[in-house]
Amino acid sequence: MVNESPLFWPVKFVETAGKPSLHVLDETQLPQKLHYIRVKNTKQAVMVIRQMKTRAFGQFLVVLNTFLLELNKMGTHDDVGARSPMPLQRRIEETAAALNASRPTFPFSEVTSIVVGWAKQALAQNLNLKSFLEKNIQGFLMGIRMKRLKRVEQIVDVIKKGNSVLTHCNVSGELAMASQICKEQNKDVHFFATETRPYFQGAKLTCWELQRAGAKVTLVADNAVGSLMADGLIDCVIIGSDRSCANGDVANKIGSYQIALSAKEFGIPLYVLTQPSNKIPTGEDIPIELRDPNELLFYEGKKIVSGKVKGFYPGFDVVPHELIAGQLAVDPSGR
Amino acid sequence: MMQNQFKNHSIILLHGVFAVDFFDQLKKKNSKEVFIMEGRPSLEAAQMNCRELLKHKITPTLISDNMAGFLFFKNLVKEVWVAYQVSDTDGAICDIGALILGVLGKRHSVPIYLSPSNRRTRFLGKEKELLSFKNKTVAPKGIRAYVPLVEWLPAEYITKIFTTKMDKSGEAYTIV
Repeated sequence: MVNESPLFWPVKFVETAGKPSLHVLDETQLPQKLHYIRVKNTKQAVMVIRQMKTRAFGQFLVVLNTFLLELNKMGTHDDVGARSPMPLQRRIEETAAALNASRPTFPFSEVTSIVVGWAKQALAQNLNLKSFLEKNIQGFLMGIRMKRLKRVEQIVDVIKKGNSVLTHCNVSGELAMASQICKEQNKDVHFFATETRPYFQGAKLTCWELQRAGAKVTLVADNAVGSLMADGLIDCVIIGSDRSCANGDVANKIGSYQIALSAKEFGIPLYVLTQPSNKIPTGEDIPIELRDPNELLFYEGKKIVSGKVKGFYPGFDVVPHELIAGQLAVDPSGR
Repeated sequence: MMQNQFKNHSIILLHGVFAVDFFDQLKKKNSKEVFIMEGRPSLEAAQMNCRELLKHKITPTLISDNMAGFLFFKNLVKEVWVAYQVSDTDGAICDIGALILGVLGKRHSVPIYLSPSNRRTRFLGKEKELLSFKNKTVAPKGIRAYVPLVEWLPAEYITKIFTTKMDKSGEAYTIV
């Protein structure tokens, strides 16, 4: 029996007294509080994405569920869609545009274009736009869920008995769920989690969910990875990814490149959880988000060094495909 | 170029806590872009290096320890200076994080120079040093932490070790 981590599916569509909203797990409150933020419209959805209240897969869920939110605000199935499809289609397109512009490195347009495509298909075939979109989005989400559950088994397969596994940032529940299966299989696995400055997702999220899953986990500083590898303390590395390229390069949380390169140097296999896409040719073509340096220079309102110091905060690294031993894929396009 | 913000091979990257005279020599290089790694868990490197650079009228740019790879990947790094505590012809003991920089330097053909540190640190830190940041807890209760503070940087990753001052050939020796 595997318990699902709250990070595996951190966004819920909720309807209370006829009013729809999204409940988005506020990952910035973990590990202290398991708190969900209520999102009522596209503007608020864009804010939770920009402010990194949820990350990676959670942002993908926010994007798809925001369409459901907007569709529900339009009324019942019978009186909307078939009767006045054009305003609804416009709203879908506006929602897509707002979500696409929320963070540059994320391939949201690859997902929103699917929804916009369904809207066009419904119009062309004179279908009820609202119910057609709802059914497609819900089916799409169900498919992704099943594929991710399948991928948990793939993660279990690459972890061998007695392995020490290094991970970076957070892979949204899948590693924690895999750890439970490894435990059932008596694999005696140990996890090392990097703290992942400046947001500490490794310390706050990965340690929390692995500990919750009953796994053995040790926190290390981002700069200790080379030492761990050189000392033979790591058998494999498993990380997530936020974007994939046609040539197999991926983008993932800042810090991933130096981990991948160190793993290659010390002969340690690196496995990446990916969402294959051929929309971008190579990692060089991925636009990398530069975030506000104050997110690095301050922590909870306190400056970390005194004086007039600048900061530089790229949000993501590119990991070239030649550094990756294996990609564990979930294809969001449904292929 | 990175969004036209920095020129290729323009950044001098500093890691570790350096002896004070290092900054006099660095000033002579007239580099506009000096980047500092924050140096978890103590952040001592960030604090000491930033203070010395500001004293020498150099405005430092701080990055997290996991951001060095990005700078290398974008071909922005000109050279790396790492503070060491003890050295011999096989390598040097440096602040934790030096090995990652060595691997990056080797891959990207960027020189890794070593200059003396003005301190001797413990080999291992206390778990609580990593479990909090600026006195705020960052990890859940009960989590264990492994906190190496120094590491061995083998000679294959080092371009040159300087003993006291970097620009006097008689006081420096090359090990690779």
